[in-house]
Amino acid sequence: MRNLTKLNLLSRSAMLSVGIIAMGFSSMAMAGEATVALPASELGATSYDPIRSSNLNAATSLIYDRLVEQDADQSFHPHLAVSWEESADGLSWTFKLRDGVKFHDGEVFNAETIASWIPDFKDTENAFLVAAIEKVEVVDPLTVRFVMSRPEPNLLYNLASTFMGIPGQKSYDSLGEDYGVSTAVGTGPFKLTKFEIGLETVVTRNDDYAWPSALSTNQGAAHLETVTFREIPDQSTAFLELKTGGIDVLMGVPTDFLPILKAEENVGVITMAGTGISYMPINTTSAPFDDIKVRQATALAINQKAILESVYKGVGSQANHFLIDTLPAGDVNPKLLVSFDAAKSKALLDEAGWAMGDDGVRMKDGAPLQVKLFTKNDSDLKRLTQVVQAQLKDVGIDAVITVFDSSTIRDEYKKNNHQLAVRSYDWNNSDILEWFFSGTRLGYPNVSMWTDEKSEMLKDAAMTKSSTSAERIANFKAYHEHLLSQHLFAPLYQPAQNIAFNKDTVTVPDAIRGPRFRSQTFVDIDVVK
Amino acid sequence: MILKYSIQRLLMIIPVSLAISVVIFLIVHLLPGDPIDNLIRVGSSPEDRIALTAKYGLDQSLFEQYFLWISQIMTGDFGQAIVLRRPVADLIAQNLPYSLQLGGLAFLFSSIVGLILGIVAWASQKTWGEQFVKGFILLGSTVPGFWLALLMILFFAVNLGWFPVSGARDWTALVLPVLTIGFGGIALVARVTRVALLEVGREDFITLLHAKGLSRPTILFRHLIPHALLPVVTILALRIGWILGGAVTVEFVFGRPGLGSLLIRALGQRDYPVVQGSLLMLALAVMIGTLIGDIAQAAMDPRIREATK
Repeated sequence: MRNLTKLNLLSRSAMLSVGIIAMGFSSMAMAGEATVALPASELGATSYDPIRSSNLNAATSLIYDRLVEQDADQSFHPHLAVSWEESADGLSWTFKLRDGVKFHDGEVFNAETIASWIPDFKDTENAFLVAAIEKVEVVDPLTVRFVMSRPEPNLLYNLASTFMGIPGQKSYDSLGEDYGVSTAVGTGPFKLTKFEIGLETVVTRNDDYAWPSALSTNQGAAHLETVTFREIPDQSTAFLELKTGGIDVLMGVPTDFLPILKAEENVGVITMAGTGISYMPINTTSAPFDDIKVRQATALAINQKAILESVYKGVGSQANHFLIDTLPAGDVNPKLLVSFDAAKSKALLDEAGWAMGDDGVRMKDGAPLQVKLFTKNDSDLKRLTQVVQAQLKDVGIDAVITVFDSSTIRDEYKKNNHQLAVRSYDWNNSDILEWFFSGTRLGYPNVSMWTDEKSEMLKDAAMTKSSTSAERIANFKAYHEHLLSQHLFAPLYQPAQNIAFNKDTVTVPDAIRGPRFRSQTFVDIDVVK
Repeated sequence: MILKYSIQRLLMIIPVSLAISVVIFLIVHLLPGDPIDNLIRVGSSPEDRIALTAKYGLDQSLFEQYFLWISQIMTGDFGQAIVLRRPVADLIAQNLPYSLQLGGLAFLFSSIVGLILGIVAWASQKTWGEQFVKGFILLGSTVPGFWLALLMILFFAVNLGWFPVSGARDWTALVLPVLTIGFGGIALVARVTRVALLEVGREDFITLLHAKGLSRPTILFRHLIPHALLPVVTILALRIGWILGGAVTVEFVFGRPGLGSLLIRALGQRDYPVVQGSLLMLALAVMIGTLIGDIAQAAMDPRIREATK
C-alpha cells in the first residue's frame, strides 16, 4: 500500500510534467460510442447484482432503473413509479407504476415485479434498505402498496439508491448467486454486453427505452449506442487517456488536476456539488479533549476559508457543520456553525489552563499540548492534514501526524488510540449523523467516541420515531444542533465532483441533474456530429 | 535418476505448502483491520455487523478458522471472497491469464535479451560495449518500474502514438508493460550472466582450452556458457513465481488486471480468503519455479544428482 501511495505521488508529479509535451487531441471516438473512465471510488466492482453487492459503479445506474430518482438538490422525482402517496401515520406507501416498461429480456415490469423483488433483500448485506417494509401488496397490475412495520420517511432515499435498481425477476431467480457477473437484466437505457472484472464494462443502447425520468432532457432511447466504462486506477494514466483520445469522459477528477485540464482547449470540465465533507473528529474521551473548552478551541482554530482557497483553489465550498449544504437538516442555528476564530480559540485554551509556552506550544502542569493527528495514506487527505497541523500550531497546539492505511486506521480508532484525525465521508443523507455519532458505534465509525443521553434520545427520534419527512428533518436538525453544541469535530471542507470530457468527441449537458453523474445524464450525452 | 530426484523434490512441496499456509493465515489474520468494516454501509445497524461477522465465521477462534480454510483448500475449494463477493477461485482464474500474459512475456523478453547482453558484456571486456551494458544494468536495477512506466507512456503512447496508453484490449496494449517490466529483468539477468561468465572464464580448464588452441566462439558456446548457466538458471527459476505477482505497480499504472492487483486490493480491504488464496498461489508458483530450477540444475550438473543420492 505504501508503494502505491508513493507511486501515486510520483505519478502525479510526472503528470504535472506532461505540459512540456506539446500535442493536440486526437478525435478517436467512434460514431455513437463513448469510453468513460470510472472514478477511483467506483473501481473494483465484481458484480452488477444490486441486491447482493456492496460495491456498485456508475454503469449499474445505466442497466437498472429505480422507482424514484433524486436530484442534486436532494428532491425526489418519479421514474418507474409515476406517483406515490404516504399514509398519514406513515405505515403505508402506495406507488403507481409506469405502464409499458419492459426488461431487457422482454419481461414485463409491473406490481408483481415489486412484490417479488423486495423479499429478495432478505439476509443480504443490503437488507437494511427495506427493513421497515413489512410486506408488499399488489393492489392492481400497476399499483403496489408497502405495508410498513414502522414509519420510514427515508424510504424514498433508499428507493433512489443504486442498490435499489430493479432487476428482471426471471433472470434474477434463475441465475442465483451468478446473477450480475455475465448477465444483468434491468429496464435501464443500456444493456450489459460485456463485463471483465477490474478491466472494463461495455453496455449497449436499449432501443426500446421510452421511459427516462424527467431529470433527463432526452425523453427517448439514449443518443449513444455503446458506452465502455474502463477501470484505470492511476489518475495520471486516466488523464493521459483523455488527452490521447483513449477515453472521452473522465469521472472523479482530483481537484489538483483541474488547472492542467482547464488549460487544454479541447477539454470541458464540469464541477458539481459534492456529496460529502472532510472533517476532523475529536476524541472526546482522550485528554485534553475531554474538556469541552479545548474541543471548541481546536475546532475554532481551523480556517475553512484558507483551506478552500489554498488547498483547493476555491473549487468546492467551505464546511461549517457536519452535513452537505443541500440537506435541510444542515440549516442549523447560525450561532452553532463552526467558523475560524483564532482569538476565541486562544482565549478558550487560556481559560482551560493551557498557557502559551516560549516555543509556541501551550503548556499545562509542565506538559506540552502535544496531540496525535491521524490520517489515511491518501495524498489529498495527507495534504489537508498538513494544513490542519499548521493551523493548530498557530494557536499553540502541537499535532503530530501519523499516516495509516484505511484498514489499520479503523483498528486504531477501535482501540481508542487516537485523539484527532482528518477524514472524509461521501453520503448525501442526514442519517450520516447517526453513523458517526451513535453511542452504539463507539470507536469506529463513532471516532469522536461521543455518547450522552440527550444525543441518544435525539438520535432515536430522528432515526426511527419520525413519521413524516418534515418531522424527520426537524428531528435530525435538533440532533445535529446538539452534536454541534458539544464540539465533537471540526468541519474542514466540502469537496466538489469534477468530470472532464473531450469536447471534440462528446457533448455533455451543462447542468447535471441528480446528486451524481449517473444514467439521467448518460442518456443526454451525445457524440459530436 | 532425474525422475527419482524430481519426485523427491515434488513430494517436498506438500509439507512446505502446509507450513506456508499456516504462516500466510497467521500473518493475514494478525494484521490490524477487519473485512466487515469494508462491507457494512451507512444505514446498517450494529446488529447487522455482528450477523455478518458470524456469517463469515470471523467470530470463531483462529484455530477453527484455519482448519475450516485448509480443509476447504484440500478439496480444491478456495472459499468465497468476503468483500469482493465472488468465489476466490473465480477471482484468481479471471486475473491469472493477465498475469501470465504480462509476466510470461516479460520473463521471456528479459531472459533472452538479458542473456545476450550478459554475453556481449563479457565478450567486449574493457571496451565501450561493456561500459554500455554496465550502464544499462545500473539503470535497469535502479529506475523504479512505475516511473519508467509513465515515461514509456509519455514517449511511446502520448508523443508518438504507437501504442495505447493503458488497458488490455489487444497485443498492442502489452508492449509497453512488457518493456517496462522487462527492463528491470534484463538488467538482473545480464548482470548475473556477465558475472558467471567472468568467474567461469577464470577457471583453469578454460585457460587449458585456450592453450589447446580452441577458437573463442567454441570455448564460449561449448564450454563457458553451459557452465555459467547454472546461476542464471537459478535466478530465472526464482523469477517464475514473480511472473504471477511481481507486476503490481506496472499493472496499476497501465490499468491492467492481474493477480498482484487483486492481492493488493484484497489486502487493502482485508478480504482474508482472497489474500490467503492469492498468496498461496504465489507461494506455490515460487516453489514450482524453484523445483524446475533444481531439476534443470540437476540435469545440467551431475554433481547435484550425486549429492542427493
